[in-house]
Amino acid sequence: MRAFDKLMSKISLLSVFKYAILITAIGVSGCGEKQAEKPPPPPLKTESPPPLSLKEEVSPVIVTAKTRETYQWYCAQCHGIKGKGDGINAKFLTVPPRNHTKAEYLETRTDEQLFQAIKFGGLSVGRAPCMPAWGNTLSDSTIHELVRYIRELCQCEAL
Amino acid sequence: MKKLYLILICGWFLYPPMLSHASLIEEKKCASCHRLTKKENEKKGPDLFYAGNKFKSPWLEKYLQNPVTLRKAGTIHNPGFLKGERENNHPSLSKEDAGKITQELMQMTLPDLPVEELPDPLNKGQKAKTKYEFERTFSCISCHQSLNLAGKPRGGISGPSLVDAGNRLQANWVAVWLKNPKTFSEKSRMPVYKMDDETRLRFTRFIMTLKNEGIR
Ligand code: HEC
Repeated sequence: MRAFDKLMSKISLLSVFKYAILITAIGVSGCGEKQAEKPPPPPLKTESPPPLSLKEEVSPVIVTAKTRETYQWYCAQCHGIKGKGDGINAKFLTVPPRNHTKAEYLETRTDEQLFQAIKFGGLSVGRAPCMPAWGNTLSDSTIHELVRYIRELCQCEAL
Repeated sequence: MKKLYLILICGWFLYPPMLSHASLIEEKKCASCHRLTKKENEKKGPDLFYAGNKFKSPWLEKYLQNPVTLRKAGTIHNPGFLKGERENNHPSLSKEDAGKITQELMQMTLPDLPVEELPDPLNKGQKAKTKYEFERTFSCISCHQSLNLAGKPRGGISGPSLVDAGNRLQANWVAVWLKNPKTFSEKSRMPVYKMDDETRLRFTRFIMTLKNEGIR
């Protein structure tokens, strides 16, 4: 019996020792990896990117409340609160601000042309210089959003 | 206890000059429409915390007695701005009060404002070139009234009139505004321009030539 007891206690001691090593090993590697390689997130990450990139392909530019606010702040002083080309400066300009609700004209312009006009000003697309350049004021992505917003105002796309 | 003394001493040094600068401005409640420090939220009237950098004092003194309309649609933070509804008119002050407040306002300056070295006044050719760029390259005239070659005021109204800018504004303020409007105002409705220094200082000179005396 004594011999058996001794054996058992040796085994349990050993296993306790083993577990201790295992636990510390897991603990240490868990902390280290979490900081460096982030083991738990990967499954999540590999699941989430596809829908994101799919979304980007479907609609790359979205008109947000911020887009409308930007239009009201900068553009409405000439193009009017509703984009009808009747802002407070309109009657003092030699060439009237473009009416952004008029589909007949805006259908004839590509998104790229509208983008150019906003970024580099009217002269850059053979239009009147009364339309200022906004490229140093607004980011490209904001300008893309404004083009989308104008498409919303005219309810039209380039033909 | 030491700290208390320190606070008292600091307070004694700081308090009296602030009080004497602000007295009539406080009494006339200028702060109800104008920001007197950059920390406040935007207000309806133009900012005054850099008035001493911006205005020429004879103009200010005249304006306070006889406020002319510079912004036909009001200021950019006026709720009726986009509808062209200008609200309240500026009160007019007595000659004495106008003089005192002008003195107080001229003390209100920004620390560390850059000092720009301006070129000589423009010759005829430079003036014509700048005027062309003012209207065509940079579309300034779309929002700012100025004088055409025949001496007639023309231009948009969303920005302040520049017809009398040469009497109203300090050249250095114009030069710094054109370089970095955010030095003064975080939010403006004016496009940001990245002019090279030569163009920017030539524009400053040009703007300083615009005066009521030029109206024909
Ligand atoms: C100072 C007045 C003014 C402001 C401010 C202004 N515009 Fe214009 N805009 C004009 C005028 C004038 C035209 C007409 C040019 C022409 O028809 O030759 C125009 C034309 C346009 C066009 C049509 C270009 C074309 O192909 O005919 C677009 C798009 C446009 N503006 C967008 C904007 C946007 C977006 C903003 C705000 C970021 C803005 N504008 C701010 C005056 C202004």
